[in-house]
Amino acid sequence: MEILKVKNVSVSYGKKIAIKNASFSLKDQEILGFIGADGAGKSSLLHAIAGVVSFDGEIIYKNYTYHSPKEAEKIKNEISLMPQGLGLVLYDFLSVKEHFDFFRDLRGLKKDEEYEKRLLKMAGLYEFQDRLAGNLSGGMRQKLSLILSLLARPKLLILDEPTTGVDPISRAELWDIVNEMREEGMSAIISTAYMSEASKMDRIMLFDEGEIIASGRADELIENIKDYTYEGEIESKECFSFNKRTYCLKPLNLKKATPTLEGVFFVNALKKGKKPIIFEIPKKQIDIPNIIVEAKCLTKKFGAFIADNCINLELKKGEILGLLGANGAGKTTLIKMLLGLYPIDEGELYLLGKRIKSYEDRIELKSKIGYVSQKFALYKDLTIRENLEYFAKMHGLNMSESSKKIKEYSQMLGFEEYMDNFPKEVPLGINQRFSVAAALLHEPVVLFLDEPTSGVDTVARSAFWKLIRKLKANMGISILITTHYMSEAEYCDRVAVLKRGVKIVDDKVENLHKKYPGLDFEDIFLNIYKEKQNK
Amino acid sequence: MKLNVIRAYLKKEFIDLIRNKMIILTYLIPTMILILFGYGIKLEVTHTRTIIIDHDHSKLSLEIINKFSHTKYFDVKVKNLTYKQALHKIQTNQADMIVIIPPSFSKNLYKGAEIGVFIDGSFPLRAVTLQGYVEKLLIHGFNIKLPIKIENRNFFNESMRDYNAVVPGLFGLIFLVVPASLAAIIIVKEKEVGTIFNFYSAPIKKVEFIIAKLIPPFLFHSLNIFILLLWTLYLFNVPFRGNFFIFWLVSEIYILISVGIGLLVSIITSTQVAALVLSVIITVIPGFLYSGILMPISSMDKESYIEAHIFPVMYYNHIIYDSFLVGQGFKSNENVLYFIILCIYAVALIVLGTSLVKKAIK
Ligand SMILES: Nc1ncnc2c1ncn2[C@@H]1O[C@H](COP(=O)(O)OP(=O)(O)OP(=O)(O)O)[C@@H](O)[C@H]1O
Ligand SMILES: [Mg+2]
Repeated sequence: MEILKVKNVSVSYGKKIAIKNASFSLKDQEILGFIGADGAGKSSLLHAIAGVVSFDGEIIYKNYTYHSPKEAEKIKNEISLMPQGLGLVLYDFLSVKEHFDFFRDLRGLKKDEEYEKRLLKMAGLYEFQDRLAGNLSGGMRQKLSLILSLLARPKLLILDEPTTGVDPISRAELWDIVNEMREEGMSAIISTAYMSEASKMDRIMLFDEGEIIASGRADELIENIKDYTYEGEIESKECFSFNKRTYCLKPLNLKKATPTLEGVFFVNALKKGKKPIIFEIPKKQIDIPNIIVEAKCLTKKFGAFIADNCINLELKKGEILGLLGANGAGKTTLIKMLLGLYPIDEGELYLLGKRIKSYEDRIELKSKIGYVSQKFALYKDLTIRENLEYFAKMHGLNMSESSKKIKEYSQMLGFEEYMDNFPKEVPLGINQRFSVAAALLHEPVVLFLDEPTSGVDTVARSAFWKLIRKLKANMGISILITTHYMSEAEYCDRVAVLKRGVKIVDDKVENLHKKYPGLDFEDIFLNIYKEKQNK
Repeated sequence: MKLNVIRAYLKKEFIDLIRNKMIILTYLIPTMILILFGYGIKLEVTHTRTIIIDHDHSKLSLEIINKFSHTKYFDVKVKNLTYKQALHKIQTNQADMIVIIPPSFSKNLYKGAEIGVFIDGSFPLRAVTLQGYVEKLLIHGFNIKLPIKIENRNFFNESMRDYNAVVPGLFGLIFLVVPASLAAIIIVKEKEVGTIFNFYSAPIKKVEFIIAKLIPPFLFHSLNIFILLLWTLYLFNVPFRGNFFIFWLVSEIYILISVGIGLLVSIITSTQVAALVLSVIITVIPGFLYSGILMPISSMDKESYIEAHIFPVMYYNHIIYDSFLVGQGFKSNENVLYFIILCIYAVALIVLGTSLVKKAIK
């Protein structure tokens, strides 16, 4: 039986058409995945179905037909929408528990202790019920929004990139819950940037530039690209390479590989005539000591809670260090201590061999470090160019210097054409690159990147990693990066894994592969976390 | 209407306002405006039409007349009028101030001679300023003490203290500006942060959302009515001659008008900063101009007079001034009419706002 029928739905904002003539239907208890590049129109279609944006066309839920948000009011008690963005629906000054009270009242629900406990446990928030949402880590916020959308036990669940920034362990738990609720009769539409998740769904629809261009089961979609998928990664102007695979329309003299869903994006991009960006980054020699950052037993406490517990960390010259760990493990807190954004409660910090203690040291520290925060601290009211000019000014660059640099980086990082757009008008992948440019303007020797690839589409992520590696190779910059895409750890030289504020592993990626032969990095990570369970 | 929805939002809003310290501003700002402006509003007055009646004709009295004539503050005419005639000049608005130098003034100077000064009190603020000028001129110039009497065409303000004129007028300014900004901010904040999705996507009625959003600023500022009243009575010693219930009721209605304006502002803005700036701009200027503090509405030129009738502040302040200084209350038809007009404003603004709020992304 069909629960939802979408007929010729279009959504536009002013002149811009976000999604054009989308039609599909959803079966009872079906889980449908939306995948596609940033800005492909997935969110707009989800919003239309949830009745929060005006649309053209017709949507039929069960036997009720609606054409506008107003008509959709009648079905809103059966639908839950979780919009995209890091904990967008949360109130910073309300605690986790107060959020539950609020959402329960909002929807007129009875309190179901058992169920709520289960949701909280799943999200790893059971112990943190009194913490204000504003003090939760990025991923914890995301998970809180997620369980709040499940609170009403909706008949139709609409999730817009629910697992962005969520760690692999919680992602697996989320799927358990969704599957269980499906057994109880729920249907779901879920957009995601994690292709391993998409392949678990009953059916997938691929979006591109405002249209649904393909739909089917994961294996059906993959079938179409198997001729273009090769093993290994190559440097080429006509082929995309990412995660140990290369995608090319013209035949290559390489071994064919079993494709994954990720490949669908690359092949689609190739068919549209898109080429991988080549980053032209001039070679430079910098004369700095071998150890860039050294943290000795750094500790951070929030009240009685220890967010980081005696962490030792070394970042060497020209090294990419991946900082991994579950949500709330203390990654962002550690980076903020290294940056001087949080005072250090205990421990010592050395930068370029110099102990950082006083305020002056910290100022100097900031001029040596480039930082891109988890939320990309961009000014919404400024265009990209103005944003960059602002950052340049903050770092004390003069006008001619700054305009030269801005021009240079916008070409180098390939976002020149977007310079006069506002951040919200361009895809996340572009924002992410220009945030990196902003962090590079003052020529730091080390870059701290906090989840730069979360929520960014696959093609943009592959470009991003290319850029990161080029920066390291040609400019000799050291990079500390956090990510929840475990496959990206492969691009790091070394990874440090945090668990509940404690560093449990710090090793070269190749060594870890030796230790856990035959596993991909996500499994390696899960293994490490399980082994150190009782620590 | 679902009470649980309203309760959910109310609870959240109160927690939010208290934890984010907004509550401090809510109570600090009105009091600050009242105290700063209550003490602070002073005007420069020039070219006061002054009649000096000199009964002394001494060297000293000529000197005094000279002193008055040689400043930009006074336009002096020396006339020989009786006390009654002079008062009539003030009452018919032909003069602003009369100075009477009594016979044998210079002879009796050291025995405590007095000069009589009568100032038009119809615009009290100006009168007080003038009083200051005259005192300065006579005391510093000649070391003369003097009893100044301010003659008032609108008799009720005979006590001639500027607080009486200024402080009640500030109610109309404060309760227009502050509740509007708070209401606008707490609605727009949801848009700015993204939490507005909770409203969009849940089965909540527009009315429920709006009621829940407007109640906190309304309630918080209802308390301010009493706080400001206490300051006015006990700090500024302004009398209260009217009916407390009318004063209170009309103030609540007026706060409703203000939060209604905040609601409208929140519809056309999308950031808290913009909402704050816009709500302050559109309320401060009429709140000041037509409050009756700077200029009595009755002595405005035609255009301003008409404009003053467009904004609610004039109607409210009329009843407030009446409550403090006159006390006619609803015995005056004008007050009744003004009260009705205010009720219409409140209903119209909120109904308009509610119909304009969209429960969807723009
Ligand atoms: N200001 C604060 N007050 C109280 N607790 C805080 C505060 N800031 C962070 N925390 C807590 O510290 C812990 C670590 O947070 P942190 O942001 O470092 O996590 P993270 O590893 O970056 O997680 P994520 O992967 O979700 O981004 C979390 O439990 C968080 O709730
Ligand atoms: Mg983090």
